[in-house]
Amino acid sequence: MAERGRCPECGSAALVEDAHYAQQQLVCAACGCVLAEGLLTTTYTDEEHLREVAYSQSTGQKEQLSRCLQRGIRRVQDLCKVLQLPTVFEETAVSYFQRALQHPSFHLVSLEKKELLGGCCVFVTCRQHNWPLTMGTICSLLYAKQELFASVYLSLQKELGLSVPALSLGDLVKTHLNSFRLFQHAADVPAPFVEDKEKMVARTMQIVELASETWLVTGRHPIPIVTAAAFLSWQSLQPPARLTCTLARFCKLAGVDLPPPAHLRLKELLEILLRMASQLAWLRVFKVDKKTVVKHIGDLLQHRIFLLKNAFCLEDGEEQRAAAPGEGSLGGGCPGSAPAAGGAAQEDGCPSEGKRQREGGPRPLLPPCLINPRKRLRTAAPSAADSAVTGDEPISDSEIEQYLRGPEEIRAFRKAKAWP
Amino acid sequence: MDADSDVALDILITNVVCVFRTRCHLNLRKIALEGANVIYKRDVGKVLMKLRKPRITATIWSSGKVICTGATSEEEAKFGARRLARSLQKLGFQVIFTDFKVVNVLAVCNMPFEIRLPEFTKKNRPHASYEPELHPAVCYRIKTLRATLQIFSTGSITVTG
Repeated sequence: MAERGRCPECGSAALVEDAHYAQQQLVCAACGCVLAEGLLTTTYTDEEHLREVAYSQSTGQKEQLSRCLQRGIRRVQDLCKVLQLPTVFEETAVSYFQRALQHPSFHLVSLEKKELLGGCCVFVTCRQHNWPLTMGTICSLLYAKQELFASVYLSLQKELGLSVPALSLGDLVKTHLNSFRLFQHAADVPAPFVEDKEKMVARTMQIVELASETWLVTGRHPIPIVTAAAFLSWQSLQPPARLTCTLARFCKLAGVDLPPPAHLRLKELLEILLRMASQLAWLRVFKVDKKTVVKHIGDLLQHRIFLLKNAFCLEDGEEQRAAAPGEGSLGGGCPGSAPAAGGAAQEDGCPSEGKRQREGGPRPLLPPCLINPRKRLRTAAPSAADSAVTGDEPISDSEIEQYLRGPEEIRAFRKAKAWP
Repeated sequence: MDADSDVALDILITNVVCVFRTRCHLNLRKIALEGANVIYKRDVGKVLMKLRKPRITATIWSSGKVICTGATSEEEAKFGARRLARSLQKLGFQVIFTDFKVVNVLAVCNMPFEIRLPEFTKKNRPHASYEPELHPAVCYRIKTLRATLQIFSTGSITVTG
């Protein structure tokens, strides 16, 4: 019972606090006069006093997403729309992004990295659904540096434990060729340069498969190989009109970037084709060089398994005795470092191969970096004297003196450098 | 592989990284002035000192932490680290050689055969990771040994850890 003063109307001291519905009121018990009313709603200051536990210490969770997360999700969705990905991809990418952002190692990174994180989630989603998307495309869409993207991608893969399947070359060929502008007549593309898409895609796929069988794809960036293969297939479909066109001009007409390694890949592909051409019966009569071999690419691709077997040496020495299935023999190949390999069965084959190689005969099927090694091979194990080092030997003063400057030297150095 | 054609593989240790502490503050300017074979990187606040006999490069910070790289064995790393500590002592610092620890060993090995990386990655799924767009080698991690192997298509393998 609150007794605050008297009722102004009747002067009674019997004041009662009662609630009229939800409203507290101070009422005179004698005459029913309402002296004071409580508030239906409390103010912020009132509520503050009622709070005993600070929000940050409570177990309550904000249902609303943070602004950073909202922005990131919008970015991911925009990326998916630009790339015209199915809705399923968008949902998966957003869920990855949310998971990643809650992870302690990504929670406090810079905004630039958070944006790249969104791009990485889209990239991972595409790879998991075998949608051929390259890192170059994502980096160009996000205006990001490749190194930073690579580091964010690798840490994302590690932290979330995602398994990302390898990029399928076949799909990549189709997607990459979709961006070429040579399949329709246009003002800047001369008529003989326009090509049928299906034929070009099919032939490029065959050349890329040939490249992967001959060690040109392993360990290399896929796009330059696809570009070089597309160029060769385009040239071979109408050689008379197109042989004079260079790779750079081809890329400019097609409206794609020319990646720098594409020239090297083209050279390697032509070398492989030349070797195969040397085994083709009706071409042995002609002198085939880098330009003219392009005309015969169709025939070379048609008989490529047979030609590869003949042009490159196998494990069993002579080709006639090699009854091994095509894939096994191509996969094994002759080991490059013959002394290290030294199996008894190969000793008969290798000397004769050595002679035949000098005559321009079959060479071992090896990755190009083994055929033209640029690095000096490392020297063998250290000498016996060095291996007796224990680390705890006594140190002589003279040995240390060589690492210290003499006083005159210090003076001269000081004068020259004018140290403050 | 048959037992009789087993070839002994040469594993060559090419780099050993170790750290130690000198338990005293080091004046980098003095080291740069009075030490020979020294490079002073003022912007990052460290000094690079190179030794000749064990071919070692040491990075010295003013806090007294020193990282030595370039040794070809753990014993040689300790050998070089002690020589370095002795040189710092001769320069006038109260150096105590403590907390010596080998942090990383890098070794190289060559297989006598080539390796098809995409198939290798498929068969070693959780441990192997291959991104041709980023790096030409497969990165194979062994969690139990805390080691990372970089496997190239030429058969060359680099082991770090």
